[in-house]
Amino acid sequence: MQDAENVAVPEAAEERAEPGQQQPAAEPPPAEGLLRPAGPGAPEAAGTKASSEEVGVAEAGPELEGEAPGEQARDERSDSRAQAASEDAGGNEGRAAEAEPRALENGDADEPSFSDPEDFVDDVSEEELLGDVLKDRPQEADGIDSVIVVDNVPQVGPDRLEKLKNVIHKIFSKFGKITNDFYPEEDGKTKGYIFLEYASPAHAVDAVKNADGYKLDKQHTFRVNLFTDFDKYMTISDEWDIPEKQPFKDLGNLRYWLEEAECRDQYSVIFESGDRTSIFWNDVKDPVSIEERARWTETYVRWSPKGTYLATFHQRGIALWGGEKFKQIQRFSHQGVQLIDFSPCERYLVTFSPLMDTQDDPQAIIIWDILTGHKKRGFHCESSAHWPIFKWSHDGKFFARMTLDTLSIYETPSMGLLDKKSLKISGIKDFSWSPGGNIIAFWVPEDKDIPARVTLMQLPTRQEIRVRNLFNVVDCKLHWQKNGDYLCVKVDRTPKGTQGVVTNFEIFRMREKQVPVDVVEMKETIIAFAWEPNGSKFAVLHGEAPRISVSFYHVKNNGKIELIKMFDKQQANTIFWSPQGQFVVLAGLRSMNGALAFVDTSDCTVMNIAEHYMASDVEWDPTGRYVVTSVSWWSHKVDNAYWLWTFQGRLLQKNNKDRFCQLLWRPRPPTLLSQEQIKQIKKDLKKYSKIFEQKDRLSQSKASKELVERRRTMMEDFRKYRKMAQELYMEQKNERLELRGGVDTDELDSNVDDWEEETIEFFVTEEIIPLGNQE
Amino acid sequence: MKPILLQGHERSITQIKYNREGDLLFTVAKDPIVNVWYSVNGERLGTYMGHTGAVWCVDADWDTKHVLTGSADNSCRLWDCETGKQLALLKTNSAVRTCGFDFGGSIIMFSTDKQMGYQCFVSFFDLRDPSQIDNNEPYMKIPCNDSKITSAVWGPLGECIIAGHESGELNQYSAKSGEVLVNVKEHSRQINDIQLSRDMTMFVTASKDNTAKLFDSTTLEHQKTFRTERPVNSAALSPNYDHVVLGGGQEAMDVTTTSTRIGKFEARFFHLAFEEEFGRVKGHFGLINSVAFHPDGKSYSSGGEDGYVRIHYFDPQYFEFEFEA
Repeated sequence: MQDAENVAVPEAAEERAEPGQQQPAAEPPPAEGLLRPAGPGAPEAAGTKASSEEVGVAEAGPELEGEAPGEQARDERSDSRAQAASEDAGGNEGRAAEAEPRALENGDADEPSFSDPEDFVDDVSEEELLGDVLKDRPQEADGIDSVIVVDNVPQVGPDRLEKLKNVIHKIFSKFGKITNDFYPEEDGKTKGYIFLEYASPAHAVDAVKNADGYKLDKQHTFRVNLFTDFDKYMTISDEWDIPEKQPFKDLGNLRYWLEEAECRDQYSVIFESGDRTSIFWNDVKDPVSIEERARWTETYVRWSPKGTYLATFHQRGIALWGGEKFKQIQRFSHQGVQLIDFSPCERYLVTFSPLMDTQDDPQAIIIWDILTGHKKRGFHCESSAHWPIFKWSHDGKFFARMTLDTLSIYETPSMGLLDKKSLKISGIKDFSWSPGGNIIAFWVPEDKDIPARVTLMQLPTRQEIRVRNLFNVVDCKLHWQKNGDYLCVKVDRTPKGTQGVVTNFEIFRMREKQVPVDVVEMKETIIAFAWEPNGSKFAVLHGEAPRISVSFYHVKNNGKIELIKMFDKQQANTIFWSPQGQFVVLAGLRSMNGALAFVDTSDCTVMNIAEHYMASDVEWDPTGRYVVTSVSWWSHKVDNAYWLWTFQGRLLQKNNKDRFCQLLWRPRPPTLLSQEQIKQIKKDLKKYSKIFEQKDRLSQSKASKELVERRRTMMEDFRKYRKMAQELYMEQKNERLELRGGVDTDELDSNVDDWEEETIEFFVTEEIIPLGNQE
Repeated sequence: MKPILLQGHERSITQIKYNREGDLLFTVAKDPIVNVWYSVNGERLGTYMGHTGAVWCVDADWDTKHVLTGSADNSCRLWDCETGKQLALLKTNSAVRTCGFDFGGSIIMFSTDKQMGYQCFVSFFDLRDPSQIDNNEPYMKIPCNDSKITSAVWGPLGECIIAGHESGELNQYSAKSGEVLVNVKEHSRQINDIQLSRDMTMFVTASKDNTAKLFDSTTLEHQKTFRTERPVNSAALSPNYDHVVLGGGQEAMDVTTTSTRIGKFEARFFHLAFEEEFGRVKGHFGLINSVAFHPDGKSYSSGGEDGYVRIHYFDPQYFEFEFEA
């Protein structure tokens, strides 16, 4: 504001000379100057500032214009004002210096002339002089925003107009004070539409939201619109513009990693307490780094279900990465996002944020289209439920959510309620989609005399294909086998006349007619249950620590459920099946110190017992060849590392990473091979295994060669260094001798002659212990 | 072979050191007793009594005539090794953290803690001039303003001292002028221990940053790094093999569950050139605070937080072991 002070001198002089004139800066520039973005005299660089200033003035223009005399002179000034503004950007000092001589000039004149010289540059903006007044200037937009148009109003004659007005007033004054109304008439009757003006635009918006579709009577349903909307929609051209073709964004081959010659898998690793994220190729020897980035994510990462995308979490939303270089593919802006879920088909992304949910605009949960990046629909999140709140059907066609006594099923791509109706299921406790078909299983607890119920429902027909009634139920858990062949409902019951809880496993055989159900009863506490992913076996951990047993059951073709094997005294609290089935890792995570048992369930042999001390996670690779156990910094602060094992439990690698947090394997899409092709491969396994064995031998010998080679060079370098150091050492021999009075101490025995022999006596204590009783 | 257990301290061991010939082993701990043992059988030869606080450091001169100890009772004491008689008592303003005889045994050095408003100093006394001791006036006192010295040894030929700092820095100070000759920072955290090789041409540092590193004594050039998952408290070089032994562990205050397994209180052996670990020795019930190689390389000792000193004689396999290279 330094320049403003300097400028004040000529300005004040001007005022004295022409008292009739208002403060010059308040004067509006002439109309023709109004709309000019930047006067011809204004240099290009001044463009933005000058024009914005003029627009600001333009609004104040019309009111004041009439008073302004001497348009000609001021026209120039407004031009030059723009120029001044441009100089503003250039440098204030120059201008301040300019002002100085001008003041002197004025003072020197004999007969003071207070009128501006020809080239006078008025360099004070309106904002500077009376910004506070300008702020309150009337704005054109005022009023229009608060007007609504109501259609489908009854057409009445003057006799009933008053009555109509009363009714209308009653309905519409709910949303705010009506300041003005207008009922257009024609031939003595109202035209059927009316205009209402509210005190504020917010009321008008409110009225549109709530009164649109209001049913006055059978014939009259109000259509309410904002007056400004008419304007907006009127200007839409009648001719259809062909939408501009979006340039095709070539993202490269998003599935390139499946083409890797060695069929290796990828995994993501978060370490340094979340500051760094890396992607590796899994290799038997050492992991091969593909990409490493600092602060790639703010919390954690997620792979999409088929492995195409890597999702990273940020305060402002989610980013998806993919392709060979892990370029950003899509961004979803959702402030404070915490949880996400992909649809199984990778078409949609569901995000959840606890922030910024508003009554009118649901934003707590948003469903996005991954390909376009567009928001498909927002939802409220009223109740705290387990994530994912929306559960997807296996093909991504439907998604469902449970609220109090209601199950709402939505369909894609419309994101609307299936058949526009939710299902009323009073007391519904939990539901789950079959991973093998569009079947929903849900259960309802006991209610007075009505027994608890597990229902299987086909969709979209909503046909109940199986209902099972259960008694004395405390709790149910639904466990689907990965292919949807079986459903196990774990039922905790308190049968009459007994104390404590018994557990029944109700096994539904989905692929058979009528869906037969068989029951396995367990007397002990159940710690964990898991289906074999591609098979008909399941594993159960039961008992109380430290007497924990694991049982393997097999569901036979005839429906009989057979206990294959039980191992007792297990150190385990979790079951991890290989994604291919057959092999299983029983892990005692966290409090059980990370005990691991690798079991082959085909003949139920324990292949290996091992331990990863304090392990917190176990992750199978998508092919079932490797297992990773890890100690995450999130659960334990020391020894953060991940270890790689073969499926038989042979330890391959120990990878220590500073503050390691999380390892996630990149999922693979389902195989494209047909059942026959897979069978053929299994038949020819011997042929392939020979080739692979050869390859392994080669790479192994290569690896050991490399290691030996590396050691050799290290040794050579070290020897070189030692030789140099020893040469120096030998050079200093005389100095050493001098410092120690001529005694050579270079070797331990270099002065043997001076040694004094000393005999040390070892004291051996003797103690007599009588053997047995000597009577 | 079964280790020899030395039970002569009531508190955790702070430092252990062999004399040049290796027949004696000096041990100091957080109790005021200074012990000396026959290394061959673990029999105690005697004690040096006089300190009234934890003893942080000990050193013997090359001909094992004198013993020097530094203590948290704000004193550094010089003893007659054979008789146990206290020859000199040098009072300081704060705890004595490190001490040492120079190559010729005629100059002693000790460093004091930054404590109770006093800064860290390195003091030098020439024993050939009795007035320095009598008046407690070192011929040189190097102030160390930045980060306090946590470990120090004399460089080769007694021309300089090599000091490790709380910040992880290494400084080489001239023993004549006191100026800093070389400064390097290879460690990110406190350097707990520095030990020279037998020929004094190189030394190994042990740091809280979970690594031990090998440096050249003259240039302080970094040579090798030995990585572990735990803070390293002490490291020692084998006199006749390319081996280094590391001792350390997780401090009890840093872990949620106290278990010897989580602490990893093992002595770990690394190959000097390959930086690869090839052996571990278990035994202590707490972290290892100090390790030392016998000058003949046939045994080593470790002193732990559990208050025990263990002398380990190597099995024949140790001498036979070789890396494939």
